[in-house]
Amino acid sequence: MRKYLEVSKTYMKTQLVWRADVLFNMIFTISKILFAYLLWGMVFQNKETVGQFTFHSMLSYYIISSFLSQLDMSEGISREIHDRIRNGTFSKYLVIPVSVEKYFAAMEFGIAAFYSVFDFLAAIIWILIFRIRFVFSTDIRVILCALIITALGMLFMVQLNFYLGLLTLKYQGIGTFLMIKNNLAALITGTIIPLALFPDAIVKVMQLLPFYYVTYLPAMLLTGMYQNEAAAGVAVIAVWCLAMQFVITVTWKKYLRKYDGVGI
Amino acid sequence: MKRTVIETNHLVKTYRRYKKKEGIRGSLTGLWKREYEEKTAISQIDLSISEGEFIGLIGPNGAGKTTLIKMLTGIIAPTQGHLDVLGYYPNDLKNEFKKQYAVVMGQKSQLFFELTLNDTLRLFKEIYEISEEDFQKNKNYFVKLFGVEDLMDVQVRTLSLGERMKMELIAALLHNPKILFLDEPTIGLDAVASKQIRKFLKEINQKNGTTIILTSHYMEDIKALCKRTVVVNHGSKIYDGETQELFNRYQKNKKIIVTFDEQDMDITLKTPNAVLLENTLHKKIYKVSKRSAKDLLAELMEYDTKDIAVEEEEIGVIVERIYQEGSACHA
Repeated sequence: MRKYLEVSKTYMKTQLVWRADVLFNMIFTISKILFAYLLWGMVFQNKETVGQFTFHSMLSYYIISSFLSQLDMSEGISREIHDRIRNGTFSKYLVIPVSVEKYFAAMEFGIAAFYSVFDFLAAIIWILIFRIRFVFSTDIRVILCALIITALGMLFMVQLNFYLGLLTLKYQGIGTFLMIKNNLAALITGTIIPLALFPDAIVKVMQLLPFYYVTYLPAMLLTGMYQNEAAAGVAVIAVWCLAMQFVITVTWKKYLRKYDGVGI
Repeated sequence: MKRTVIETNHLVKTYRRYKKKEGIRGSLTGLWKREYEEKTAISQIDLSISEGEFIGLIGPNGAGKTTLIKMLTGIIAPTQGHLDVLGYYPNDLKNEFKKQYAVVMGQKSQLFFELTLNDTLRLFKEIYEISEEDFQKNKNYFVKLFGVEDLMDVQVRTLSLGERMKMELIAALLHNPKILFLDEPTIGLDAVASKQIRKFLKEINQKNGTTIILTSHYMEDIKALCKRTVVVNHGSKIYDGETQELFNRYQKNKKIIVTFDEQDMDITLKTPNAVLLENTLHKKIYKVSKRSAKDLLAELMEYDTKDIAVEEEEIGVIVERIYQEGSACHA
């Protein structure tokens, strides 16, 4: 365990080197909240509620969901694996005594933990500037479930990106897979529009997919909505993680033999 | 008798590669119908290496050296044959096995370029589960040996190639590996840095008893370090024996490069077998048999020369000669 903690710390240290990245990430979080403020300000001009949301609960949802979505930086994993397999340097991870998947999970954790501090600061600043009456659940059980779902959701995204990266062993490029994943995730994680505004039948389908649990459900739970989905949410995302782990194990065993490490 | 640490029998590695037909039409045809060909990278290699040996692995580009190292370290799996390294089948990629070797590749890095060596070593300490006491002891030993005390807190990306190679070696040796695989460690380094690296490797082999397998295109590396050399070509082992014998027997010529201040210097040589390979305004390159090299040098010294350099024959030439003279008795 200590070795993976050190991996996290090492990647945290590498992030500290790039000051501009930190600044732009904060600006991006702020601009998303600002955009939501302006957009929903107009929508709520003549209305008290939209769906189940008031203006302030909508902004609370936005702040939480953008904070959670900024935490997911797992796409770097598939890109790193793809590039290294293509240029023959994936062996860097094969020759050191670590589980490659855990190494990448620890890497993601280190980077996400680092950015979470700055994203959290950005969110707090905006709550204060716009005097948002922040809506937050007071039910400890629900908050706990939301945190577990968030952690499992992040783990799932790590697993998915690790798996997509491994597909480079079979396919020349994984760009199409990543595009499909990104489009699905953008829609189903609810970071563009809250899924509560979609028809019920569509939401039911989305509830079967893991992306629903990555940002959307935890954000809704933390803003005090969908509380009855909390326990089921933990179970569904946990099953997705287990299924994904099984797929990774099979893929790793089957495809790693195809790695030829051209150029070592 | 020393323990065998690497053992291979009839080791084979074949790759399957896509043969694309020329042009757009060929690319389109390849969408639904593809032709593949088998390429044998390693063919029936038998090898036995004992603890503490310093072995040179040489051969021209594409001979199979790197493929062999990749199999020995578990990066790729052999297609056929028996393979045992320190009692493990490398491609099982067991952590207990990986803790016992290290691999350094001249053109690839294990370091974090944004961080300092101190940061990277701290990570390696945890990855290899080294105790704090051993970590401090090894770190201090190697830092002193390589003379890099002043560079430990400098970002790796700001270091020169020679300095970076020293850092790579320190990171690789931190966990006291039983076997060290080195793939072209002196590539791109100047003469001084190469000499330093050779000195360190010699010390590590002699003092720590680390088994070292070195691939290099530079004859100097092999001559200075390896008692035994394995020559591979087209995936097959064509020589396995004493390095000294290899060079005595197959390195028959030397290349002498003379430069002059004066243009088109007129030189008449008496040394037999001296062949003029290149003749430019200020430079002449001769090929001469090892036996006559001394005479040619003495003769050239009589002229007003600016510089004289003596070079060894390249690996490719030696490999060609081993082939011509028959390899069966050496492999």
